[in-house]
Amino acid sequence: MSLKRREFLELAAAATALSAVGIRTANAQSADVIRIGIAANGPRTSDPNFTTQGSDNWATEQMYEQLVRPEDGDFATTPDKYVPTLATEWKSSSDAKTWNFKLRQGVQFHKGYGEMTSEDVVFSYKRAIADGTNKTIMSNVADVVAKGPYEVEITLKTPDVNLLGTTIFSNNTAIVSKKAFDKIGAEKFMTDAVGTGPYELTRFDPQWGEAMKRHEGYWGTKAKIASVECVFIADTTARTLALLSGNVDMIEAVRAPGWVDSMLQRDPTLQFDMTQPGSFNTLHINLNRKPFDNIKVRQAVMYAIDRHAVANALKPMGGFMAGLQPDFFPAGFKTEALPAGLQYKYDPAKAKALLAEAGFPNGLDFDSNCSQREDYSSTMLIVQEQLRAVGLRMNLKIGDHTAYHADNRSDKNTLAMHSSSYPPIPTQLYFQQLSSKSEVKSDGKGGGNYSHYGTTIPGIDPLLDQALQATDYKTYLDACQKIELQVLRDLPLIGLSTLAFTVARNKRVNLGYPVKSGYARWRFHRATKTA
Amino acid sequence: MTRYMLLRLADAIPTIWLVLTLVFIAMRILPGDPAIAALGDAALPEQLADFRAKMGLDVPLWQQYFNFLYGTLSLDFGKSYMNGTPVLSLIARNLPYTIELTIAAMIIGVVVGIPLGVMAAVNRDKLPDTGVRIFSLVGYAIPDFYLGALFLIVFALNLGWFPINGAGDGFLDRVHHIILPAVTLALVKAAFIGRLTRTSLLEVLGRDYIRTARAKGAREPRVIYRHGLRNALLPLTTGLGLSLLATLSGSVAIELVFNRPGIGRMLIQSMTERDYGVIQGGVVVLALLVVLINLLMDLVYIVVDPRIRVK
Repeated sequence: MSLKRREFLELAAAATALSAVGIRTANAQSADVIRIGIAANGPRTSDPNFTTQGSDNWATEQMYEQLVRPEDGDFATTPDKYVPTLATEWKSSSDAKTWNFKLRQGVQFHKGYGEMTSEDVVFSYKRAIADGTNKTIMSNVADVVAKGPYEVEITLKTPDVNLLGTTIFSNNTAIVSKKAFDKIGAEKFMTDAVGTGPYELTRFDPQWGEAMKRHEGYWGTKAKIASVECVFIADTTARTLALLSGNVDMIEAVRAPGWVDSMLQRDPTLQFDMTQPGSFNTLHINLNRKPFDNIKVRQAVMYAIDRHAVANALKPMGGFMAGLQPDFFPAGFKTEALPAGLQYKYDPAKAKALLAEAGFPNGLDFDSNCSQREDYSSTMLIVQEQLRAVGLRMNLKIGDHTAYHADNRSDKNTLAMHSSSYPPIPTQLYFQQLSSKSEVKSDGKGGGNYSHYGTTIPGIDPLLDQALQATDYKTYLDACQKIELQVLRDLPLIGLSTLAFTVARNKRVNLGYPVKSGYARWRFHRATKTA
Repeated sequence: MTRYMLLRLADAIPTIWLVLTLVFIAMRILPGDPAIAALGDAALPEQLADFRAKMGLDVPLWQQYFNFLYGTLSLDFGKSYMNGTPVLSLIARNLPYTIELTIAAMIIGVVVGIPLGVMAAVNRDKLPDTGVRIFSLVGYAIPDFYLGALFLIVFALNLGWFPINGAGDGFLDRVHHIILPAVTLALVKAAFIGRLTRTSLLEVLGRDYIRTARAKGAREPRVIYRHGLRNALLPLTTGLGLSLLATLSGSVAIELVFNRPGIGRMLIQSMTERDYGVIQGGVVVLALLVVLINLLMDLVYIVVDPRIRVK
């Protein structure tokens, strides 16, 4: 067969046109699938009792449920704001040590594993207490017993007026099927756990991610979209391109200054969902390192750091903390509500004067380590510049994130930034970062109190005990506010800023509710999507 | 021949042992705690201790080393600290993707690079030669991860011709997914191979037997391909071997940019997570691949130049 020049050109044009038709198909997606690009290399587990990687929680959030939950897209800032989920009602004893939960009847597990009963709740809790990732939250639970098929009783070692927030609404206390565990076995359960949530697992691939389909036997309103896929894309460029091409509907954001603006320049129609406050970025001052044992030097640091500027640099993700909690969280203060001496409004002149009083009229030099992760490095570079302006010359050594945490845990830092997410339970931050029980040790066997507060100088231990022993919420809150004031007086720890968890979303997807607050994960069961 | 191959393999044993030992030591010197990486920095001291005991990280270093060597000899690299998956199964899952990418990139690199080199050599100092030299220079200069991102933006994002990430399912889908990353890697290879072919061929084309062939009236293509290129193959084979090894290591960046599974991405992930078992297992496999490729190159030498067999 011979091909004339004209025929060849016609064929070539047709081929080009066909390619053009396929232009948007290589990355096109069905309207009945929501796909989110996760900023990590791969899922580790789908078992909610054993998650160690925050990114895994995007999938577990869709598949598992707890006895109670806050409203979608929000935190429950007080105990009365939790809504019935797998439990329909609950009550606590007057000493806040015994809690009874009545279970919802007719709740079906995924994959035909039958109805959820108190046996499954007891099993899930005992498993979390014995082997779960977050034993801290379970350490106060003395026992969990079934009181008939639809009621459980949880007894505590010490009172906890915040039990719903500290323990019940936790990823690690999601309810899984005992029957499925017995049948599948512990090892397989790690990647094939069975829950009650609006989606059930269909695929777990440690490289690719996780796929889920709608749980048709769901007790509540069934999910509107048939499938959810959590695709793991660690590389920022690849993740961004995946969103812009339509390959995924949402991606986890890069939490660095200017990222949201740069994304909007590429696609002005993108939507951004942010949970306030997100991470609490705090700065530990090592009280064992001279001259930071001197309160005047610590006050100089506090006056030298323009915390509003730090928060603004991270806008729209950044937020301000007058103390260690945002003002809309329990125990959080607005600056104006604090005593004048504890407001620490940005004042470089005062910082210099305090340094001079402390015997450092020409300032001082010191070393600090910092993680290369963008949220750490961008914040600490801003802090470094602000400190330099008053003569506090911080030689910042920026290195690998894992090594940074190991060094902090071995007491090798002077000003150690820490970024952690907390629910509206102030005592969690106080315990982890300020309690003498969590003091850092040079052999790496200590905790996250990198400042040695409570051992080098008296700390907040008595107040923390008071809060943790409270049998009513008001007493709890009063003790927490006293802790906030005490920390502002002693300055072992500075609240630098909050940093919202952010997801960039294609406008085709409507979540069905606004994301205001909460952990770095939210549910998709109310979402809709246009083709 | 079998004896020769066995001797070559025996030669590789000390190399592999050295690589294993270096990796083991490097991992332990590197700051960072696998327990914190796995459980998070909020983990309690007793949880961290439990984890270390479970993973065998609480025993003395020498004991860890011998456990590791024994495990390697019995092809048991343990389990991933992060998800409990056996390391061997992780490698088995990832290795085919890296191999298929390397082979695809090499094929494209050779198919594009050798003709370019020949064209440059036979048109020495003319426009095609200048073009090939510029192409080679650009190929050398552009980092593959940058080229990959550029290709993704143009061909996957703007034109939509190729998938934006992943490796695909099924044969055709996998071919569709591999084209862009393979071409990215191949262009750099083609630049290298083109340059090498040009240099080798130019050297051969100046030899007496080429002049003799032309004097005998042999046609130019026969002179170039039969007498010239064939004799230029030996240095080219060495270059191709090195290029193959470079492609294998170069696939790390490409796997990340294109979000493809593979040994490179697996190693990067385990490095950040201080997942010692996976790193050690991955490096052992890469070291074995390097040994095998070198052995393969030795065999190719024998085929290309029978004089080597005689020696």
